Amino acid sequence: MNALLLSAVLGVVMMFSGIWLKSKSAIRNVAIVGMALLLVVNILEMSGMIFFRIDTKGMIVFDRFALLFDSIAFLSTLLYLFLSAQDIEKVGINYADYFALIFFILCGITLTSSFKSLLILFLGVEIISIPLYILTGSDKRNLKSNEASLKYFLLGSFSTGLMLMGIALIYGDKGSFDTNSINLITETPSALIVAGMLLLLFSMAFKVSAAPFHFWAPDVYDGAPTVFTSFMATIVKAAVFIAFIRLFEEAFGNLQNKWQLLMAIITVATLFIGNITAVFQQSVKRMLAYSSIAQAGFMMLSVYAMNAEAKEGLLLYSAAYSFATIGIFAVLIKMKDYTFDGFNGFAKHQPLLAATTTIFLLSLAGIPLTAGFLAKFYMLKAALGTGKYLWLVIFAVIMAAVSVYYYFRVIQAMYFKEGDPPVLQITPVFKWTLVILAALVILLGIFPNLLLTWYYF
Amino acid sequence: MIHLLQTGLNSADSGSFLPVAVQFIIATGLVAFLMFVTHMLGPKRKTTDKLQNFSSGIETHGDARQPMAIKYFLTAILFVLFDVEVIFFYPYAVNFKVLGWNGFWAVMLFVGFFLCGFIYILKKGALKWEE
Amino acid sequence: MTGVIGCGVVLASFVLSIMVFLQVKDGHSQVVDYFNFINVGDLKISFAFQLDQLSSLFLLIITGVGFLIHVYSISYMQEENPGQFGRYFSFLNLFIFSMLLLVMGANYVIMFIGWEGVGLCSYLLIGYWFKNNEFNKAANKAFIMNRIGDLAFLIALFWLIAKIGTVSYSEVFSATNLARLKSSDITIITLLLFTGAAGKSAQIPLYTWLPDAMAGPTPVSALIHAATMVTAGIYMIARSNALYSLSQISMNVVAITGLATAILAATIALKQNDIKKVLAYSTVSQLGYMFLALGVGAYSAGVFHVMTHAFFKALLFLAAGSVIHAMGGEQDIRKMGGLSKKIKITYITFLIGCIAIAGIPPFSGFFSKDAILLAVFEHNKILYVIALLGALLTAFYMFRLLFIVFTGAFRGTDEQKDHTHESPGAMTIPMIILAILSVLGGLVGIPEVFMHGGDKLTAFLAPVIPLQAGEIVSHNTELILMAISSLLVIGVVVFAWFLFRKTRFSESKGLGKVLENKWYVDELYEKIFVKPLNKLGAFFNSVFERSVIDDLVNGVGRLVNYGSRQLRLLQSGQVGSYVLLMVVSMVLIFILQFFIRK
Repeated sequence: MNALLLSAVLGVVMMFSGIWLKSKSAIRNVAIVGMALLLVVNILEMSGMIFFRIDTKGMIVFDRFALLFDSIAFLSTLLYLFLSAQDIEKVGINYADYFALIFFILCGITLTSSFKSLLILFLGVEIISIPLYILTGSDKRNLKSNEASLKYFLLGSFSTGLMLMGIALIYGDKGSFDTNSINLITETPSALIVAGMLLLLFSMAFKVSAAPFHFWAPDVYDGAPTVFTSFMATIVKAAVFIAFIRLFEEAFGNLQNKWQLLMAIITVATLFIGNITAVFQQSVKRMLAYSSIAQAGFMMLSVYAMNAEAKEGLLLYSAAYSFATIGIFAVLIKMKDYTFDGFNGFAKHQPLLAATTTIFLLSLAGIPLTAGFLAKFYMLKAALGTGKYLWLVIFAVIMAAVSVYYYFRVIQAMYFKEGDPPVLQITPVFKWTLVILAALVILLGIFPNLLLTWYYF
Repeated sequence: MIHLLQTGLNSADSGSFLPVAVQFIIATGLVAFLMFVTHMLGPKRKTTDKLQNFSSGIETHGDARQPMAIKYFLTAILFVLFDVEVIFFYPYAVNFKVLGWNGFWAVMLFVGFFLCGFIYILKKGALKWEE
Repeated sequence: MTGVIGCGVVLASFVLSIMVFLQVKDGHSQVVDYFNFINVGDLKISFAFQLDQLSSLFLLIITGVGFLIHVYSISYMQEENPGQFGRYFSFLNLFIFSMLLLVMGANYVIMFIGWEGVGLCSYLLIGYWFKNNEFNKAANKAFIMNRIGDLAFLIALFWLIAKIGTVSYSEVFSATNLARLKSSDITIITLLLFTGAAGKSAQIPLYTWLPDAMAGPTPVSALIHAATMVTAGIYMIARSNALYSLSQISMNVVAITGLATAILAATIALKQNDIKKVLAYSTVSQLGYMFLALGVGAYSAGVFHVMTHAFFKALLFLAAGSVIHAMGGEQDIRKMGGLSKKIKITYITFLIGCIAIAGIPPFSGFFSKDAILLAVFEHNKILYVIALLGALLTAFYMFRLLFIVFTGAFRGTDEQKDHTHESPGAMTIPMIILAILSVLGGLVGIPEVFMHGGDKLTAFLAPVIPLQAGEIVSHNTELILMAISSLLVIGVVVFAWFLFRKTRFSESKGLGKVLENKWYVDELYEKIFVKPLNKLGAFFNSVFERSVIDDLVNGVGRLVNYGSRQLRLLQSGQVGSYVLLMVVSMVLIFILQFFIRK
């Protein structure tokens, strides 16, 4: 509850800071301080210091899972701001408003991670989506950005429609939005419930860019300003996954035999399309867009498995994936040329950046000693734990092997090819934050319990 | 027909969707049928006058897709926004006494946010028509 | 500076080892468990150290001898440039570390880590002068031979885990677990462990790497290939004595292999002309004795010989290094001679080493070798005769070496003659200390005959290595045996004196030639293993790799690329087509859910 209210207030504060503060660095500092405050407040709530006690009639419940994920999201955003806040000002003139939108998105994230009622889920998803439409189109003079924004909006409203329809069908059968009362099914469920569940499944799959509802993702990620792609492909995606797993655990947990095969099919499709299409991309940014689909495929495994390991693993995965991808995007923003060739000879000119980028890429590829490896390991373990569909796990492993190809292309370009890539100016803060991110990636790869103990104590 | 539509909604089998399917088929079928029939039955005389868009008898002129000042849309959308928000006062007004002080503070909070938004658009210059 | 640090840390560990030893001597042996190293299912392997009588004794030998050799190295390796010097000491220290890990581990896995570590260090140090390709080949040979043994060791580990699910000494050797093992399992495990030991400790058939390992710097030969690393196999078997005692077959295999190695290596050593090669074969031969001791169940005698051997063999190597140093890098004994007057300290220490290794009382070698011979005599008379023969051979070739190098006329070049000089103090002092140890080291194991309770070592090791069953041999017989062996050895020395006082070198013929060529074992291995394997490799490379694997791998890659190009077309950029595809898939899922999957 702390973070929910504070993030909304901070959003408003950022709106006005754009009016009253003239210097860009002042605005940036307000945003960073606000973000840090948000993180602190949320951690305080985890240790029992709740500042606001508001009776939500059981529509929102801040349990450990929600709070821990919020902390991960806030920490990622804080690091993201350290890395890329300066690049946000290059996007357009409404500098402060972008921060405001980011805070509003975080407000939505706290909602989606803690909902107990489908209404709150809907509100949260919309609070996340609408600012994203704006951020996607924030580069107003760029036609690609505009196109991406419009596409995102059109397809996004389509999925919102599906979600509302699904909620309506469920309400029609159950007469309640409460997830617990929806889950009270022991005998055969009605067709209405199943249809509603499917519609919700489609719309959530859309939001996490799972195949075959992923079509918006590459275009939008490619078209949006790179700073915002970084944000929406990592933190937002992870947040929607949290909502996804929550929804299907709490509202449809008893219907597992109805949706588990569908999840498996969607997982396979997502892994396949994400990984295979990424292979042929020539632009690193677009490759990362497809890689985010591929990673979504792995995260889908947790929704499919839906056991204790899956939830732990999803937390770890969202941290591992967010940290690594934010880092890569932050470096990418500093590049002038987004193609693979643009990275040629990068290691010679920027050894530190190249080294950290390599760590991030290794983590994404799931190489041991990085967080990405353990995250993938947890996912596969969870999937094995269901005792069904062994082919799914085998397929996932094969696809993880495929992913090594396109991640290593970047490493190869950086280290083994000659070139002189032009790089924008790099500040010490940027470098240090990258190093911290890389250290986190490795640390979590060795001691995942650093993160996961928070889930239990 | 109505009876048919309401049975079996609570059972899981796909047969319960049969009425929906029937309805669906009839609806689309009817549309298709009517369109087909009008095209077949009606006489066709295509002149330039007839192919023109009908706009209440007034002659059309120029391109409808003229660029218009963004301010126009902005003002319009802001009006709609605030107008809609005002609607929330109606249920409050009706239940004014029942909700008591709690309700009052809640509405004050709402108005406060509302005011923040208003100040924001004013300061942003969204309502400056001249510039 | 590098040298000071390198020696300092070893000295520090020596001091610590002494403290550990004193503690253990007071009866405080213990297992220190640090953390859970591997945890898979029911299998728990902890990172634990075991400090008991056996490991504390090895700690003393390793760090003590290691320290002396480190000091010696500073002076010996002085001509290396500073960067290389650092590399040398880092390898040497890494070796000490691995060796300590090996002996301190409280389970076979930790031992295996150290085991691999010393193998690696040995490889690195043999190929230390990596610009010489011959040396690299020697390093490779050592590594590969060791790997063969390591594989067997590893299989033994897995076998243990599969059968009793634990590798920690205390659990493996507990009566309940030993009872759970079938006797066939024990035989297989012990034989596999012995194969590992044969690789590391240079026994038949894996011994050929050790003589070639002399390519490394002489102090390395002294430390690794004489005093410490090669005794790892002995340590392992002594440690596993509870297992070995249960398998008579394995014991016999160990004893016979050890004896065969001892004799074979000794015969080869007779005709070698490289000073280090002679010492190398003598090492192989002495290791054979140790295995013989283990094989007849005299574990503590084997360990005793490890200790004395560490002293006198390190001494011999260091002295040989000093000779080589004096001769300006010359290793061929045919070009030496008459050095006794020029390098007196070296001569005396070398002489002490020779007396010790020959087993002339009361030098250390006598006590340990005698303990082994006695145990063998109790076990089997035929083996005893052969072993005694080996001891005589040892005395013969060692004194041959001594006489050729130090007596007679100088046969080197004039330039060498002028340059010949005694080594600096940093080299001679370690030699002197080792010489003293070689003389006195045997006193920890005086046989019962001479002094009641004189065999302190066996008593000390008793908690780890249970005492053998009661003596069969009477004291009189024992005294007679000692007298016989001592007299024979002295006789052989005198014989060698007459033979090699004035040396004539001639082309060897017949058996001599076979011995000079080391029984053609290397050539045999080349023919039987290396060539066919190379052919097989070439076949796989040309046929299997090219046409099957490559095509398969590249084919998969091409397929993925092709698929990628096709899938990319789905992403048309048209919102309409996206929606269409989404709706189609939704309909398909609905159909799947409601109609196909009931």
